[in-house]
Amino acid sequence: MTDDDRQQPNTVKEARPGAQRGGPRPAARTSHVARSTDERLADHAAIDRLTEDFVPALIVKLSTSGLGEIEVGEGGWTVRVRRVGEVTPGFGRRLTDKPSRQQPGHAGHGHAPGGFEGHRSARETKPQGPATGTPLVAAPSNGSGPGTVPDASPAGVARAADGADRHRAIATSPAVGVFHPKPEITAGTRVRNGDRLGAVDMLGVPQDVVAPTDGILGASLVEAGQAVEYGQELIVIELAGTPADRSEG
Amino acid sequence: MFKKILIANRGEIALRILRACRTLGVDAVVAYSEADRESLPVQLADEAICIGPADARRSYLSAPAVISAAIVTGCDAIHPGYGFLSEDEGFAEVVRAHDLTFIGPPANVLERFASKESTRRLLGSLGLPTIPGSNGILRDDAHALEEGEQVGYPLLIKPAAGGGGKGMRMVRTPRELEAALNVCRSEARAAFGDDSLYLERWLDETRHVEVQVAVDRYGRGIHLGERDCSVQRRHQKILEEGPTPALSIEARNELCTRAVRAVVSAGYENVGTLEFLVDQDGSFYFIEINCRIQVEHPVTEMLTGIDMVVMQIRIATGEPLGFSQSDVVTRGHAIEFRINAEDPEREFRPAAGVVERYLAPGGPGVRMDSHLFAGYEVPPYYDSLLGKLIVWGPTRQAAIERGRVALGELMVEGIVTNVPIHQAMLASEAFLEGRFTTNLLDRVGSSAFLAAAARS
Repeated sequence: MTDDDRQQPNTVKEARPGAQRGGPRPAARTSHVARSTDERLADHAAIDRLTEDFVPALIVKLSTSGLGEIEVGEGGWTVRVRRVGEVTPGFGRRLTDKPSRQQPGHAGHGHAPGGFEGHRSARETKPQGPATGTPLVAAPSNGSGPGTVPDASPAGVARAADGADRHRAIATSPAVGVFHPKPEITAGTRVRNGDRLGAVDMLGVPQDVVAPTDGILGASLVEAGQAVEYGQELIVIELAGTPADRSEG
Repeated sequence: MFKKILIANRGEIALRILRACRTLGVDAVVAYSEADRESLPVQLADEAICIGPADARRSYLSAPAVISAAIVTGCDAIHPGYGFLSEDEGFAEVVRAHDLTFIGPPANVLERFASKESTRRLLGSLGLPTIPGSNGILRDDAHALEEGEQVGYPLLIKPAAGGGGKGMRMVRTPRELEAALNVCRSEARAAFGDDSLYLERWLDETRHVEVQVAVDRYGRGIHLGERDCSVQRRHQKILEEGPTPALSIEARNELCTRAVRAVVSAGYENVGTLEFLVDQDGSFYFIEINCRIQVEHPVTEMLTGIDMVVMQIRIATGEPLGFSQSDVVTRGHAIEFRINAEDPEREFRPAAGVVERYLAPGGPGVRMDSHLFAGYEVPPYYDSLLGKLIVWGPTRQAAIERGRVALGELMVEGIVTNVPIHQAMLASEAFLEGRFTTNLLDRVGSSAFLAAAARS
């Protein structure tokens, strides 16, 4: 899941083999075909290096520069970091939109694979939790762009996301059901890691939604009483010690 | 008809059900685990909902998660596919209690057929021959030995619940029986939570022949012919064909007619499969019933032209069958090859990984039911079925030829598959002559079998 750019919506990153430059997003997986295991391992090592060293550095550069986009190349690879404007509600694909049929298999694409009416508009701007179900540390507040992360290893991208925004975390849904936040939960409230923020009611059994970290509550991404799926992002938490109103874009 | 159906399964069967829903003009929601987010059924679905993590116990096997997903997406029915919750009468009951329809037999019917031992007695009393065996469940070791004498050796110890070969042992003497009882009890308890055992006479060199039936809510039942699933490895079916080469047309008709008559009398509802062992004399014995759509249902679809999943959904809505036995005409011969992510060279060890290239075969009478695509990552959490290649021909020989061509054309790269075992089968004299038996592959050994095929 982590190689999905839904998870790092405010920064679009592209890392792809130079040979495929200009090609449309889809080539992603099928490009493995002609390559040997060694070549692929080398690619993954390159991605790790790019995401660990280059991307965080580029993000710092970008955030201090006022530029809109920075692109750096090395060997057969390029990394581009681009700012995206503040999110507008309903921006991007809606949950009920049909997924792309042209490129099944392509993992990184800004659109959700499907959706359901209960929480339409919800998922696009919010990343899903990783496979373990633990809350994801990533930035949810900005709209997702059309970028792709075709060949990056999940771990590499997760680190990149981390590097992209260390200021926010997300409380995600522990179950499929109906979301009921605690009434006293409002933006600006200080919370501690493990605090109960509400519950998702699964057939009458409440499943606790907990704060994944210390911080200050930000926006609620889902309204009370709305249907949510497993792993869905529910509440933004601005990490303690960082200004919630830092300017961006 | 239903307004919206939740598909509570994954892989090729989720895709198959999605296609049936579209044929019927019914909306469908694909329920998926986090490991299946990028899977084909999820990508093709108009609507999909994540119900839990990769661990099936918290997603595909979680009744609360599945039912909650159906409710919040506004579904009025749940299709469980095969495996997972498909034959769980407790789940079917909870689905009903939430005013949803379980697409399959109603909970009380599932409950009636939950125990193999009592189903055997029930259908035996309704005219189906059963393998001579113990009179009911074994009370203790002394009772087992007593019953063993009466049944005769060699015999088979079987658990009353469940299947898949667990808790099952063939024994040749009273001493072996005594020694095996405790092992079988603990295996059965571990696998099914029930350690009741019974005995059946051991039949050597049998064929596995199963009858497909469909019964509507009004007690009208038909059969859709039989399938032969004698090619097995350790009680797991590898390929299935129909009609069975083991029986004459008269014998097949008698088997199918008696099977459908018995299940209708027993109050069965929806689609189901009655499994029989056929011995060398052509005598058949009922062994068990499967209360679900089966993996090998396409064999029957190819022979009859009937969409079994559509029919199953129609029956679940309470529609009458709408046709009678004389309307069911089977034509030609069909073979299904199960394409699994398993390495035949290494004891069929399951494999996982990225499918780098995939090409489905084509041509007349060739059908591929699969959720594969280039770039798909086969997750390691679930069973190894990648798809099913089904071929049809006007004769068995024609179907075999088409199978040979189609298997050669099928391209799955990046992940190891069991295709070589199918190719070996189509080179095997025993298979080509239609005399494969259920224990042949295990007796010869898969590697010896593959080696023999390579030589020929």
